[in-house]
Amino acid sequence: MVATQSNLRRSAPPDLAPERAVIWPPRTVRTLANALQVVMVESHTIPKLTVDLYFCSGNAASLQVAPGLAEITAAVVRTGTASRSSHQIEDDLRRMGADLSTGASSDSSSIAIAGLSEFSRPLLELVADLARNASFPPNEFERERRQKLEEVRIERATPAFLAGERLRQILFGTHPYAVISPTEEQVHAYRREQLVEFHRAHYVPGNALLIAVGDFSADKMLAEIENIFSGWTAPLPTKPAYPEPPVARGRRVHLVHMPGNVQTQVTVGNLAITRAHPDWLRLSLANAIFGGAFNSRLVINIREQKGYTYSPRSAAHALRERGFFSTNAAVRNDVVAATLTEIFYELDRMRALPVAGDELSDARHYLSGVFSLGLATQDGLAGQLATTYLSGLPEDYLETYRDKIRALSADDVLAAARRYFDSANSQIVVVGDRDQVGAQAALFGDLEVVDTLGRPL
Amino acid sequence: MTKLQIPIEHTTLPNGLRVVVSPDLAAPVATVGVYYNIGFRLEPRGRSGFAHLFEHMMFQGSENAGKMMHIKLVNSSGGVLNGSTRYDVTNYFEAVPSNALERVLWLEADRMRALNVDDENLRNQRDVVKEEVRVNVFNQPYGGFPWLDLPPVANRNWANAHNFYGDFADLDAATLADVQAFFKTYYAPNNAVLLMLGDVRPEEGFALARRYFGDIAPNPSLPSADTSEPPQTEERRAFVEEKLGTLPALAIGYHAPARRTADWHAAAMLDAALHGGRAGRVFRRLVLEQQIAVDTGGGIHYPLGDVFDYNGPILMVTRILHKPEFTADETIAAFDAILREVQEKGIAADELAEVKVKFRSDYISTLEGGMGGYLPRFGLMHYLACFTLFDNDPLLVNTVLDGFMDVTPQQVQAVAQKYLVSCNRAVVVRAPVRKGAA
Repeated sequence: MVATQSNLRRSAPPDLAPERAVIWPPRTVRTLANALQVVMVESHTIPKLTVDLYFCSGNAASLQVAPGLAEITAAVVRTGTASRSSHQIEDDLRRMGADLSTGASSDSSSIAIAGLSEFSRPLLELVADLARNASFPPNEFERERRQKLEEVRIERATPAFLAGERLRQILFGTHPYAVISPTEEQVHAYRREQLVEFHRAHYVPGNALLIAVGDFSADKMLAEIENIFSGWTAPLPTKPAYPEPPVARGRRVHLVHMPGNVQTQVTVGNLAITRAHPDWLRLSLANAIFGGAFNSRLVINIREQKGYTYSPRSAAHALRERGFFSTNAAVRNDVVAATLTEIFYELDRMRALPVAGDELSDARHYLSGVFSLGLATQDGLAGQLATTYLSGLPEDYLETYRDKIRALSADDVLAAARRYFDSANSQIVVVGDRDQVGAQAALFGDLEVVDTLGRPL
Repeated sequence: MTKLQIPIEHTTLPNGLRVVVSPDLAAPVATVGVYYNIGFRLEPRGRSGFAHLFEHMMFQGSENAGKMMHIKLVNSSGGVLNGSTRYDVTNYFEAVPSNALERVLWLEADRMRALNVDDENLRNQRDVVKEEVRVNVFNQPYGGFPWLDLPPVANRNWANAHNFYGDFADLDAATLADVQAFFKTYYAPNNAVLLMLGDVRPEEGFALARRYFGDIAPNPSLPSADTSEPPQTEERRAFVEEKLGTLPALAIGYHAPARRTADWHAAAMLDAALHGGRAGRVFRRLVLEQQIAVDTGGGIHYPLGDVFDYNGPILMVTRILHKPEFTADETIAAFDAILREVQEKGIAADELAEVKVKFRSDYISTLEGGMGGYLPRFGLMHYLACFTLFDNDPLLVNTVLDGFMDVTPQQVQAVAQKYLVSCNRAVVVRAPVRKGAA
C-alpha cells in the first residue's frame, strides 16, 4: 500500500518488527593429543576459508629478552621455511588466492591465512610449515630489522601512537604491558638467534589455538587438521610472573611535545579489568553510553554540539591479565582545556547519576545488535571465536552475551562507572605543541613534559 | 571455476529511484545503502570539499528526524551506520538486525525527501570536518598521500584536479544556500539507487521502497558534467614537503584505460601483477630484492577504491616509501626497470594464471565483507550500486569477472606498452623536512 505524501510528511519512525532469533552456528571444539586446541565452524557464505593459528605468547612474554621480539619474530616467520623460500611462499599464496598475515600483540602471536576453500589442504600445510619449520633466513631478518627501524621512526611522528604509548607506560609501570614498541637502539640490538629461540619455545602446540571458519565439512576438516598437525610435539613454555602495575594517586598530566602541531591528541585513562572479569559486560555497557558508540554522551557533546573534534571515542581495552579504560580525541589547539573539562564532566556525570530514559535500553540494544552482525561473515565469526577462546571465556559466551547485556540495569551501569571510570586518578596524556597547549593542560594536574622519545624536557 | 550466482532482483520506481535487492535469509541481519550519483569530482567550482561537507550535513537532521535522530535510531536498533564521499558517488549505509529494516528505510527516505538543517548545524560540521582534515592530513605522517597530492598534478580538468577534502577558505565560504541548492540538484531519487541485502525478500523490499520512497519528487533536470581529461603529452612532476614522516615518499600515477573496455581488463591484470601484495612485482623487486623501498602499494583508483567503483578518468597509482640513501631519481629508475621488463618480455602464462586466481578470490571476499566484518556484504552493496549507477546493470556483479579471466599475456604486455609511458604519467615527490628520529 502506498502512503500519501501528507501522512508521510508527519510520520514517526516505524516500530521495530519482531526479532528473528540469533542462532550461533554449531562449533566443533577438540583438543588434539599434542594439546593443540582446535575450534571449527562451517560457514558457506563464500567458497573460502579462514585459518588462524594463535600462540598465547606475545610481546609481553618476550619483553625481558628484547622489546618487540614477538612481533619481529612473526614478521620473519613468513619469509622462509626448511623447504620454501620467501618467493615460494608468496607465489604459493597467490596461486591459492590466499592472504597471509603474521603478527603479534602483547599477549599472542598469530599466523592467519584466508584463501579459496578448494585449496584448504595445502593452505593448512602452509600454516603448519610456518609454525613448525620457519627457518629465519639471515638476509630476510636483516631486511625486516631495517624496515622495523624505519617504522619505529615514523611511529615517533604519529600523535595517536605517541599518546597510546605514553598512557601504557604510565598506567603499567614495570609491568610488561607498559611497552608497546621498541626503541631504535633495541631494534639495532636484535639478534637472529633470539627470534629462533622465541619461535622454538613459544610456537608449540600446547600453547596454541587453531581457529578454522569457512566453506568446508567440519568432519573432513578435523581429519585434515589431525593428519597435518598431530605429529607436532614440543614442551610448553614457562609462564613468567609479571610485576604489579602501579596504583595511580591523583590526576597527572603528561605532555608529549611536538613543536608546530596543528592539532592536539588528548587521551585520558586508568587501569580497569579483563574480559574474563565478572564486571566486563557492565563496563562495556557503561562505555557504550559514555563514549563507545556514535550515539553516546561524549560524541554528542564534543563533536555534535561543540565541534571540537572529528572522532572522539572511549574504549575498555582488555589484555589477558589486565585491562584499561581510555578516552581519546584529536582536537584543535585552542580547545584542549575545554575538551578535558567536558571529558571529566561526562565521566563524573556517569559516576554521579543513574542513566535515565531511553539511554539504558538504547545502549543495551546497540551492544546486543552489533554483536550479532559479526555472525554474517567468515571474518566476523573467526574474530568472535578468537576473542572467546583466547580470553578464556565460558563456552556459552557467544550464545548468552545478548541476554546478559539485556539484563543489565541502571544500577549496574552506575556501579561500573564508579569502579572503572576513575576520574579522580585519571592519567592525562596530551600530544601537541607545548607552547600552544601546555598552559591549558597544566590546569588539570601536575604537568610533566617529555619529547617524542620520552626524555624529560 | 563455478560461476557466481548471487540472487539479485531490481526495479525502478516511477520517480526514477532504482531499487536493488539481494536476499540471503541465513542470518537475521540486513545491510541497507543509498548511493547518490554525486562525488567530489562534481562539486561546484570555488567550493572544494563541498561534496564531503555535504555528506556530513545529511546526518544533521531531516524533516521528521532531527539532529542526532538518524544516529540514535540506528544505534538503538542494534545497528551501525556511516557514509563516505568518493569521486563519483556519495553513499550512506547501515547494517542492522533485520527487524530494523523498515525503520532504516524510513530514515533514508526522510532525508532524501527533505533535509532540514540550519546555520548552526553547518558551522558545527564545518568545525568537525576541519578536525577530520587535520587528523587525517596535516597532523599525520604522509597524511593525504597520495590521494590528495597526485590528482592536481596528473589532471587538468578542475573536476579531477582540485583539493577533494577542501581548502579551509572554501569550507568557510560554504553557505546554507549552497547546501540547499546542492541537495535540490543532486539528492533526487532519479540520481540514486537504494540497496537492500541480507534478510529481506525482494517483493517485501520493493513494497517497502514504494511505500517510503515512492512519492519523493524527481529532479527533471539533472545536470550532466564534463569530467573528461585532455590528452597528456608530457610527464608532469611536483614536489611536496613531508612535515612529520622521516622517509622520502614517491607517488606515480598513470592515466588508466576507460572502464569496460578490453584494455581495462588487461590493465587490471597488469595492475594485479605489479601491485598484488608481496608477490607483486613492485613490492618483490623494490622491497624484498633490491631493498630500495621500505614499503610499496598501489593499484587502479588506489587508495580510495578499486578497478570497479569509479566512473571517469582514473589513475593507476604506485606509492613508494623509500630509504633516504636512495634518491628519488634512483628509485624512479628502479621502478621504471620493473615496467620495462613487462613491456619488453611480457608476463609468463603461469604468473598471469596466479594473478587471476587471486583477483577472483579477492573479489569474492570483497562481496562478502568489508569494514572489519561488521558490515556484512558491504562490498556486494558497493558493487551493486556502482554497476547500477554507472552501467545500469546490477547483474554485472555475477559476470564482470569473465572479461578479466579471458585476458592473455599478450594483452597485458600491450597495455603496459601503451599506457605505462612517461608522457602519460605524473610523479609526486614528498620529501621529509626532518631526518631520522626527532
